[in-house]
Amino acid sequence: MRLVGHSKGRAATAAALLILAACGSNSNDSFSEPGKASIKGQTITVLLPYQIPQALLDDFTAKTGVKVNFNVTGWDAVHTKLIVANSAKTYVADVTEFDWSFTGQFAGAKWDEPLENVLPAELTADLGNTSGAFTSGGHTYAVCYSNDFRMSIYNDKLFKQAGLSSFPTTFAELSTAIDKLKGAGVQYPLSIPMAATEGGVTPWYLLTLAMGGQLFDDKFKPLFADPNSAGHKALQFEVDAVKNGWVSPGSVTLDDGPAFDKFAAGSTAINLSSSPGSLATANDPAQSSVAPDIRAGLVPGIDGPGASFGLPEGLAIPVTAVHKDAALAFITWWQEPATSIELYKSAGMLPCRTSVLDRLTKTDALAGGSAITDQFKHVVALFPQGAPVWYSNFSSEAQGLINAALKGDITVDDALKQLATKAETLAKAGS
Amino acid sequence: MGQIADPTIDQTRKEDSRLGRRMIAPAAIVTAALVIYPLALGFKTSLQSGGATFGNEVRWVGLRNYADVLKTSKAFDAAVHSLEYVAMAVVLEIILGLGVAVVLHRVFRGRGVVLAILILPWALPSVVSGLLWRRVFDPDSGLLNAVLLRIHLIKEPHVWLAGEASARGFVTLVHVWGVLPLVSLIFVAALQSIPDEVYSASAVDGATPIRQFRYITLPLLRPAIAVALTVGTVLSIGIFDEIYVLNGTALNTRSVLMQVYNTTFVDADFAHGTALAFMLAGVTACIGGISVLFLRRSAT
Repeated sequence: MRLVGHSKGRAATAAALLILAACGSNSNDSFSEPGKASIKGQTITVLLPYQIPQALLDDFTAKTGVKVNFNVTGWDAVHTKLIVANSAKTYVADVTEFDWSFTGQFAGAKWDEPLENVLPAELTADLGNTSGAFTSGGHTYAVCYSNDFRMSIYNDKLFKQAGLSSFPTTFAELSTAIDKLKGAGVQYPLSIPMAATEGGVTPWYLLTLAMGGQLFDDKFKPLFADPNSAGHKALQFEVDAVKNGWVSPGSVTLDDGPAFDKFAAGSTAINLSSSPGSLATANDPAQSSVAPDIRAGLVPGIDGPGASFGLPEGLAIPVTAVHKDAALAFITWWQEPATSIELYKSAGMLPCRTSVLDRLTKTDALAGGSAITDQFKHVVALFPQGAPVWYSNFSSEAQGLINAALKGDITVDDALKQLATKAETLAKAGS
Repeated sequence: MGQIADPTIDQTRKEDSRLGRRMIAPAAIVTAALVIYPLALGFKTSLQSGGATFGNEVRWVGLRNYADVLKTSKAFDAAVHSLEYVAMAVVLEIILGLGVAVVLHRVFRGRGVVLAILILPWALPSVVSGLLWRRVFDPDSGLLNAVLLRIHLIKEPHVWLAGEASARGFVTLVHVWGVLPLVSLIFVAALQSIPDEVYSASAVDGATPIRQFRYITLPLLRPAIAVALTVGTVLSIGIFDEIYVLNGTALNTRSVLMQVYNTTFVDADFAHGTALAFMLAGVTACIGGISVLFLRRSAT
């Protein structure tokens, strides 16, 4: 790999720079003073839901002398492990996953080190708006490593077979396109994960925004219980998708990974709520049987392309971490342009730094380049007022109720009224 | 004439007693550290406010968390589901287990092979059996739908784990599939302990096989039935893996233990989670106690 095999001199210089950069303008007592950290020979544990190439980790070790024990476990399992370990105030890892949805819960419990004063100023500025997703009470608890947001991807070959020349921009057009795809022999044109998981509830959030609404008002009063609300219509859309055979019957038990697998296997034509990284994966012949026919489309809306939202994932340092300076060096190394670009190519993690995104666009290395840039313009915050402390509780309740409505066990109205009641209780307890 | 106490014997008894206490001390300390201390800590948590997640101060709230949990509809539904799991699983396990045991009690060719195959589902971790059955119930590419579609019993794929009662029925079947071998083996062992002479004597008296089963086998199997009931009940109250693998945390199949997991480890609400866990432990202990009483009465 390009990144490995540097000379010893360059490695030593890079290590020194990394340590200095990692320490930045340090005003957090948990980290060493700039230039005083001695991290060589340490071993850090990293806990993330995604694997990254070993060659990249070797590159970090070569540059810093820090070995990495890289642990991968499922997204939901990572969340559980972090809650258990952090609640017990025991060590779990030096660098951990920090999803945007953790922000309220983890910040409230003060489980991670604030990083706003220990990161290099240039990096903080380059990360732009993504840091906002990890900020609560004036502190930033993570550094974005996967600039995830929702967009649609579709199978152009199946679209052409159905006589469709472009991706629908409105839900009315989407309905027509689905009918045409079914007419052309695509039994279940849509892929939407609907299981009782975080991945299964995300499409409802997306559709609520795409239909021109929000989940809550600025005082966290739930808006979705009103039958005329976008949230209500969004869930009804999903329920109708099941009833009309737009999605396969098994979608109600599918998480986002298996739903994408069905799309990548050519069973469906549209993955409505996809991540930008999935576009690269779906067009990789080694990982997909529909490569290279997959194109990016803007999420449909009411009168034109609808709103989407960001779900950035970050790297955090728990307060219980043992080697915090080495952990910070790891996070800083991850944000180096060469590392970020390599991770995008190998693992589909869209970089967060504006300068890196620009470089990818200019060199035509960004899969679906213009579509991604266009979708970015429609990305809004799911919680413009900041993710609430009780988001995880709300999400866990939503997972069960939305799934029950999709399975037909309860009505859309009942599900959303129950969810609204729960949200009001949580907001009251958390305020 | 009064008995004369032998001071040497008294001394020996005291020394034995002291030695015994010293010998069990390490085990008692380990048990206390690994079981009693976490239990006490858990109980303390269940009496405190669950404010950690919201960054609030932790306060003593007495039994309020227990009252809160009882008022929660999700916890109540999960408790009802758990009762259904227990009722369905125990009945199926006892009836099927008895049937399998009666067949396996007879000596026939290949009995050893059948016994080995029977044990297989029990030997599999419940997560693995859940994954296997997930392939069977998968609505889009599962074996069950494929077979039923092929023989035209259904016209379109059915979502087996949707629906209220039916989904819990299928989860119970998967659970019973894993526990049945254990229950069957308990019954086989008990059947083998009944002397053949009892059956021979009753046959001489004109007892039919059905009457032999009713008046000899069943009464003599009562201790084994009590054991099987206890094991079956405790295992089905603790049902978790099969549900999680088959249907995630979906409301229609959620058991009390899953609700404990969700409340504690997803919502990070340790106070209410431990309160619910202690209530579940209390119910399990009561069932265990009743079973022991039943077992003692059977033995006498």
